Amino acid sequence: LQAAIWQALNHYAYRDAVFLAERLYAEVHSEEALFLLATCYYRSGKAYKAYRLLKGHSCTTPQCKYLLAKCCVDLSKLAEGEQILSGGVLNKQKSHDDIVMEFGDSACFTLSLLGHVYCKTDRLAKGSECYQKSLSLNPFLWSPFESLCEIGDKPDPDQTFKLTSLQNFSSCLPNTCTTLVSNHNISHRQPETVLMETPQDTIELNRINLESSNSKYSSLNTDSSMSYIDSAVISPDAVPLGSGTAILSKQAQNKPKTGRSLLGGPAALSPLTPSFGILPLETPSPGDGSYLQNYTNSSSVIDVPSTGAPSKKTVSRISQAGTKSVFSQSGNSREVTPILVAQTQSSGPQTSTTPQVLSPTIAAPPNALPRRSSRLFTSDSSTTKENSKKLKMKFPPKIPNRKTKSKTNKGGITQPNLNDSLEITKLDSSIISEGKISTVAPQIQAFTLQKAAAEGLMSLLRDMGKGYLALCSYNCKEAINILSHLPSHHYNTGWVLCQIGRAYFELAEYMQAERIFSEVRRIENYRVEGMEIYSTTLWHLQKDVALSVLSKDLTDMDKNSPEAWCAAGNCFSLQREHDIAIKFFQRAIQVDPNYAYAYTLLGHEFVLTEELDKALACFRNAIRVNPRHYNAWYGLGMIYYKQEKFSLAEMHFQKALDINPQSSVLLCHIGVVQHALKKSEKALDTLNKAINIDPKNPLCKFHRASVLFANEKYKSALQELEELKQIVPKESLVYFLIGKVYKKLGQTHLALMNFSWAMDLDPKGANNQIKEAIDKRYLPDDEEPITQEEQISE
Amino acid sequence: GADPKQLERTGTVREIGSQAVWSLSSCKPGFGVDQLRDDNLETYWQSDGSQPHLVNIQFRRKTTVKTLCIYADYKSDESYTPSKISVRVGNNFHNLQEIRQLELVEPSGWIHVPLTDTHKKPIRTFMIQIAVLANHQNGRDTHMRQIKVYTPVEESSIGKFPRCTTIDFMMYRSIR
Repeated sequence: LQAAIWQALNHYAYRDAVFLAERLYAEVHSEEALFLLATCYYRSGKAYKAYRLLKGHSCTTPQCKYLLAKCCVDLSKLAEGEQILSGGVLNKQKSHDDIVMEFGDSACFTLSLLGHVYCKTDRLAKGSECYQKSLSLNPFLWSPFESLCEIGDKPDPDQTFKLTSLQNFSSCLPNTCTTLVSNHNISHRQPETVLMETPQDTIELNRINLESSNSKYSSLNTDSSMSYIDSAVISPDAVPLGSGTAILSKQAQNKPKTGRSLLGGPAALSPLTPSFGILPLETPSPGDGSYLQNYTNSSSVIDVPSTGAPSKKTVSRISQAGTKSVFSQSGNSREVTPILVAQTQSSGPQTSTTPQVLSPTIAAPPNALPRRSSRLFTSDSSTTKENSKKLKMKFPPKIPNRKTKSKTNKGGITQPNLNDSLEITKLDSSIISEGKISTVAPQIQAFTLQKAAAEGLMSLLRDMGKGYLALCSYNCKEAINILSHLPSHHYNTGWVLCQIGRAYFELAEYMQAERIFSEVRRIENYRVEGMEIYSTTLWHLQKDVALSVLSKDLTDMDKNSPEAWCAAGNCFSLQREHDIAIKFFQRAIQVDPNYAYAYTLLGHEFVLTEELDKALACFRNAIRVNPRHYNAWYGLGMIYYKQEKFSLAEMHFQKALDINPQSSVLLCHIGVVQHALKKSEKALDTLNKAINIDPKNPLCKFHRASVLFANEKYKSALQELEELKQIVPKESLVYFLIGKVYKKLGQTHLALMNFSWAMDLDPKGANNQIKEAIDKRYLPDDEEPITQEEQISE
Repeated sequence: GADPKQLERTGTVREIGSQAVWSLSSCKPGFGVDQLRDDNLETYWQSDGSQPHLVNIQFRRKTTVKTLCIYADYKSDESYTPSKISVRVGNNFHNLQEIRQLELVEPSGWIHVPLTDTHKKPIRTFMIQIAVLANHQNGRDTHMRQIKVYTPVEESSIGKFPRCTTIDFMMYRSIR
């Protein structure tokens, strides 16, 4: 029954899964069944059901706890989540090591979740610690790294993304193939990032579904820290690795076949697919052909005994046999050595992630446990996240040998697949290991291939990590540089291009940013993350048509994403329909109250409708959600400037600058405020700095000219303005200021000329100041005009 | 006159009626302030008392008002169409002063009423009162379909300069 449930889950047939799980739970009130039911609810999108269910019953197993904590966090019950994971705010808290011990393989996810809770409750130091620990346990996790960058820590990508303990390839490499296809599940926010490389064989595996070869994770013990299982499955065929995910997903098939048959199945697909899972079922050395570990099967097998659900004979056999064989095996050439099941395994309970494996906690011999976990993970990962994209990341260049090997071997060489599936969001990452048992299966080969694949992945992660870190520290030029050097098949993905687009945006190079973002839209038009920046870019460039197209498309596509509503709000703001824009930004906030940018944009709209109090509140909310959101600090500064509270304004601008030191717009504003505070020298310095950073910013030059003018340095001001005239010849402000300078210099003729140019260039004629400047000019030479003129200027 | 929406799109003015408290000297049920401010030219305010009929607009703080826009249509309202309107401003009901008087002859559309003081600048006031002194064909009650109040938009975001005109400047004007 459990097998059936997992199968349903793997096929996203949630209604079936839930129904069966409910029956199972009614029948057997065990924690595993409870966990399974909760998992079904959670996966079908009903976190509240899982939450209430788990709350109502005691949860002692780590997987249950983890799932409950996850539900709590999803439902914003942070304190409760924290309590579950670490003993709570008031009680003595468990140390991280305790957590590691308790959760074992899923410790990395647990810590990541805990880190999230700490960060959201303003305990950044603790959160950062958790994230770091989580990363050290499992360097394939991207989201803790990302979170660390975002809270302002500067994790070192080189240190983080390296395979150290991972390598427990030492454990007997299964010659048969234990390939764990791990799917990388990159943080849900970044679906594009492929963290794993799955060698081609995963493809095979894909079809086979998670035959997790994990069975032979002997190494289980080895590395609890390793949270992933490397399995390289090389399928000689061209099936793209990407299919790995497919495999994973399918794997859930709890087909009623026995493990063996499963093997048969997949085997049918490709003679090379090693089916690992069945190994135990068969002789201890599966050597012949590929066994696909039928994840589900095995799991079901395991479950079977524990739950007593009817299981195919073979299945049960597998479980029994498997466990024994797996673990007992020693030097069998054919033995399937469990690949490290680092992640999954580590926690005996791994229950959390094992979708397939029914609560691994099921009484299975300890050995079996790890195995299960690996399986679980794999199946889990596969099912949970189809990282087809990820899997698509072929790393052919990196694993050339593998392919050849696989091709040569009939049985396929099972190479450990380095697909680590990082189930960051949900259950522990499940590594799907596809075990391909190759008859030949040189252990060493597999091992080195595996290692190579892992290395390749790590090096990619390092580069991406560096790029991302640079971006978060607003070292934008650097970030662009690093990210542009990624291999082109990675470069041309939504995530990377969005980061680059954002980097250009922060540099105020809106045209470049627009170009990049439109490319993103072309290749991944389902991507919404990052589109809010695109919409703001279009707002700056005043491209109303493009902006309205974007906002329509996004809102049609995903009404539950704050980015879509932000784009819509920007669109109406550009049309000066501020009330409607406000409505849309408020909607964005409703959809996701933790999305800082929506608050910021709302604040800007309120400023435009002169409702400064509301604007202040909005910006403060944005800062509450994300203290490093420098746009909100800027917004506060602007409001204080409007209210003429110049020192407050300067302070806030400075705070924004501390976060983003490279922004020439910010520096320009600070310069103007300093001038208003009569610190003209400083103002000039600041403006000079701004111009140095970004010589293309005409406003800096303009304001520098105006400061010089106010300090009566007319010649320099004029010079500045003449240069500006060359750069932006159609800007009426430039002529206006030139006119004023000439007026001061007494050259009335030139002044008038410039004023009239200024008026010409200002089609709306709304600039009373210009008109007044001219009018006064016309007054005869009484003393009157002069004082009036003084009044007008500035 | 032109549709005030176009005026809004120039970015030089902003409608601030929503920041004020509106009241009427009298109205027929279902034909009151809401209908006067609903952006719908089909609905209207109908007064129900003696002349002059008054529309009072009171702001929370002293506000700069540049233009008033009134929609009147003789063809649809005939004897209910105002023919003489007086615009008064002041701090409260007791110190209102007339600053504009307009005569309308069979109007059909938007009427833009610029409100300027003696120095030709937009007025700054707490309160505006629009008084309908007479209607076409000597009608007693009046219809008014829509009224909008515009304030000049604050100038450029930083520095006390007029607004910039090119996108090149506007791009760098603020961080969003």
